[in-house]
Amino acid sequence: MNEEVSSAEAIPVPGRAAAVPSANRRSERRLGWMLCAPAAVVMLAVTGWPIVYSVLLSLQRFDLRFPARKAWIGVDNYTTVLGSSFWWNAFAVTVLVTVVSVAVELVLGMVIALVMYRTIVGRGLVRAVVLIPYGIVTVAAAYGWKYAWTPGTGFLARLLPAGAAPLTDHFPAIGIIILAEIWKTTPFMALLLMAGLALVPEDTLKAASTDGATAWQRFTKITLPLMKPAILAALLFRTLDAFRIFDDIFVLTNGAQNTSSVSLIAYHNLIGGLNLGIGSTMSVLIFLAVALIAFVFVKVLGTSTPDAGRR
Amino acid sequence: MDRTAGGITRWSLVNLLVVLYALVPVAWIASLSFKDPAALSNGAFLPTKWTLRNYRGIFDNADFVRGLGNSIGIGIVSTLVAIAIGTMAAYAVARLDFPGKPLVLGLSLLIAMFPQISLVTPLFEIERTLGLFDTWPGLILPYITFALPLTIYTLSTFFKEIPWDLEKAAKMDGATPFQAFRRVIVPLATPGVVTTAILAFILCWNDFLFSISLTSSSRARTAPATISFFTGSSQFENPTGSIAAAAIVITVPIVVFVLVFQRRIVAGLTSGAVKG
Amino acid sequence: MGRALSPAGAPAGRRAMAALTAVLTAGLAAACASGASGTRVVNLYNAPQESIGAIAGRCNREAHGRYRIVVNTLPRGADDQREQLVRRLAARDSGLDVLGLDVTWTAELAEAGWIREWTGRYAQEASKGTLPGPLSTATWQGRLYAAPYNTNVQLLWYRSDLMPDPPSTWAGLIQASERLAAEGKPHYGEVTGAQFEGLVVWFNSLVASAGGRILSPDGRRVELGPSALTALRTMRRFARSKAADPSISNTKEDDARLAVESGRGAYEINWPFVYASMATLQPKLLKKFKWAPYPGITGPGRAPLGGANFAVSRYSAKPDAAFQAALCLRDPESQRTAAIQDGLPPAVESVYWAPGMAKAYPMRQAILDSLKTAAARPMTPTYQNVSTVSAVRLSPPKSIDPPRTLRSLRGLIEDALQSKGVLP
Repeated sequence: MNEEVSSAEAIPVPGRAAAVPSANRRSERRLGWMLCAPAAVVMLAVTGWPIVYSVLLSLQRFDLRFPARKAWIGVDNYTTVLGSSFWWNAFAVTVLVTVVSVAVELVLGMVIALVMYRTIVGRGLVRAVVLIPYGIVTVAAAYGWKYAWTPGTGFLARLLPAGAAPLTDHFPAIGIIILAEIWKTTPFMALLLMAGLALVPEDTLKAASTDGATAWQRFTKITLPLMKPAILAALLFRTLDAFRIFDDIFVLTNGAQNTSSVSLIAYHNLIGGLNLGIGSTMSVLIFLAVALIAFVFVKVLGTSTPDAGRR
Repeated sequence: MDRTAGGITRWSLVNLLVVLYALVPVAWIASLSFKDPAALSNGAFLPTKWTLRNYRGIFDNADFVRGLGNSIGIGIVSTLVAIAIGTMAAYAVARLDFPGKPLVLGLSLLIAMFPQISLVTPLFEIERTLGLFDTWPGLILPYITFALPLTIYTLSTFFKEIPWDLEKAAKMDGATPFQAFRRVIVPLATPGVVTTAILAFILCWNDFLFSISLTSSSRARTAPATISFFTGSSQFENPTGSIAAAAIVITVPIVVFVLVFQRRIVAGLTSGAVKG
Repeated sequence: MGRALSPAGAPAGRRAMAALTAVLTAGLAAACASGASGTRVVNLYNAPQESIGAIAGRCNREAHGRYRIVVNTLPRGADDQREQLVRRLAARDSGLDVLGLDVTWTAELAEAGWIREWTGRYAQEASKGTLPGPLSTATWQGRLYAAPYNTNVQLLWYRSDLMPDPPSTWAGLIQASERLAAEGKPHYGEVTGAQFEGLVVWFNSLVASAGGRILSPDGRRVELGPSALTALRTMRRFARSKAADPSISNTKEDDARLAVESGRGAYEINWPFVYASMATLQPKLLKKFKWAPYPGITGPGRAPLGGANFAVSRYSAKPDAAFQAALCLRDPESQRTAAIQDGLPPAVESVYWAPGMAKAYPMRQAILDSLKTAAARPMTPTYQNVSTVSAVRLSPPKSIDPPRTLRSLRGLIEDALQSKGVLP
């Protein structure tokens, strides 16, 4: 057990803030702002104005094909989108995919994290190989799944009864979308959870063990409670990430059989329909939904400072 | 722990399951890419007849080669810019005390969680007006933006670990500030910067939504989006083999990165995730 | 729809080579062209078509330097083609000159102001000898916006050994399938029942065959009268009968062709490219592979009208060269090449009687006859929306609930016409 979890070396060193003489305070402050300015300007310029702009667009009738009919129409677009069964279907699909895949990933990710953390042979190999699904381009993996389930071509489709084309039926197609999502992102979840496992003191576990606690008791009574912050942070990332699912569905079904996600339906209305008004309205609604999810995690569940989400 | 023969066997089996989980789907795509088009529809896991035809085909395809070039170029430029300005911000966050710090971190966090699609609609219209649509800068800008939060968070964690006192010690030993920085700090910071650069590059390389929405031709379209436009070499031939080969081509560099830098990437990915 | 389908007329190897060369030359040429914007390079964006390189080559030779056409190939699916074109047009891309358009896009692009009107000498030449059906698909609100390149109609293609007398109605087809099923013979009738434009093509022709229309002729109102109910009932009955292939809700043109070529289907409703494909891939079945008019409700029906037209982009920097190039690309000689090499039915009537056509087009009289009554799809700038929402409501065909589906279709299409509908 001499090999520590790699992230354990990342224990924060206390800042040297307290030692700064107050004469230097102003120049330090100025330096801080100067160093952060380029990053802040880029982030604000590329996201700030577009967000405002998409709110403005969402209040207009603006179909690129009919520039003459452009007009301010208040919240009509919101009424249209919120009154559309296509939108709510996409919303339901997105929620279903998000909830199921994140739930499965949590369990599966925990198992893989425990294997990576506890295994006594080939630890480096397992950790390296697990990173492959994380590294693979989502679109590339999605094509792999698509062909695996295509009748005649796929090795998985061959296991099904003749004539079955799972990607052309609503629920089987959603199942495959979830499968593709889980496969690709579980390793990331597992890594985050493994970092959480490293926070559980080995001594506490040993002590519990000598007191006669079973492995399961140790896991549920000691490991899980100590890992709660790590689990919540991992859940927050993955929930937000899964909620924006686009690539997998684009490749697997492109929304046929009512399998559009909210991101995909917004894309279809913008790029296929060239309807900037409706497309922006959906963008704003998705943004609000994401904000709501983040709010629930941070305020209600007490998730603390999560890191940048990455795929 | 239980290092008996039984324990080793048991763990080896468990490891094997995990490895299979990670590798079977990748092996399937690789196998597809080596299948002869005529035998593509036999549904077998492994090729019955091996061929390199699919690979020759995609490298003869001007659009794919262009897409690959775009992916590499746009990825590298975005990564370099994001690292350059991200490093400055990360240094400030890790080492300096200033009132705007929570604001910068909050903004990064907000963008990290931001649904990309919400940006696609306004960017489509803005870039159309500015003439950035279907150009390299048109993709580089959003890539930098989404790589920045990752860069700032990961690098600031790395920077916090650097024993900055060494710099002071070097200066006391008579080194100029620049020498101290170059001889002491740069070597200490480089691994973190390289790791972060790899993560940022993977992020850009993996993007599909921006590439497919903000381009319309091979002028700026990156490889993942190009693949989705593949047509068969004739009307009735499905592009399955070419897509599989292209998928492998764009996957291999990332897999090599990941395997070579495994320990650093794990550290980078998990840094800051469990503590704040 | 029905325009990008060329036959497997040549041996696979040669076809692959030709396509590959086309892609390569297109890529290289496009790269060079962008450098020399002053020369009169005309960029053509067209659906994948094998002989287009040869056609453009002849035009370039005959142009004697007045222009040089560079062929750029669009994706295979009609939706992807449109998406790419409109996105570039919306971005005011001056790199597009001549556009190969599906017949259903004319109104949309014309209304958006993205394609130029054809007038004077050019318009005259584009309509000279052109069949009226195809010409109407290039016209929007009385103005000509494109030059017809090829046309297309669906026919009933059947195995004469299984169905000696081809029925002329859908009810007759269902009966024939039931009879074949009882005899233990192949009995599936292949139709385009997947959730895509092909399903709307089917519905539109049934509505027209029953004497109605989806939209009013000006494209502003939804009609969908009692004839629509008849059409929906017919689709539902067919999809639930012995005639329906179990994979009907997943069948596109190519799947239909393959099912009949493999012997699983007894007949198919499809575009004429299936004949050339049968001749190449299943020469043994070819002798028994016959054609008949598109089936209707009480008698012969009104076949779907397909095809492609050439338009000139609003943002083209050299419109005159583009108009001239487009005219050459669709002149009788070009149409003859496209017909013989790619199986695309000509839009100019005289080409049907040109040398070489008798062998490649034994069904030419049937095509010409069907063209006279063929049903065009609704003309409206929002056709893409109308079609997309209709396909969703009509899929899968066996779940159609006529009165309810009709009510829902009405609402969705009305919203789509106001461009306030949501696309799925």
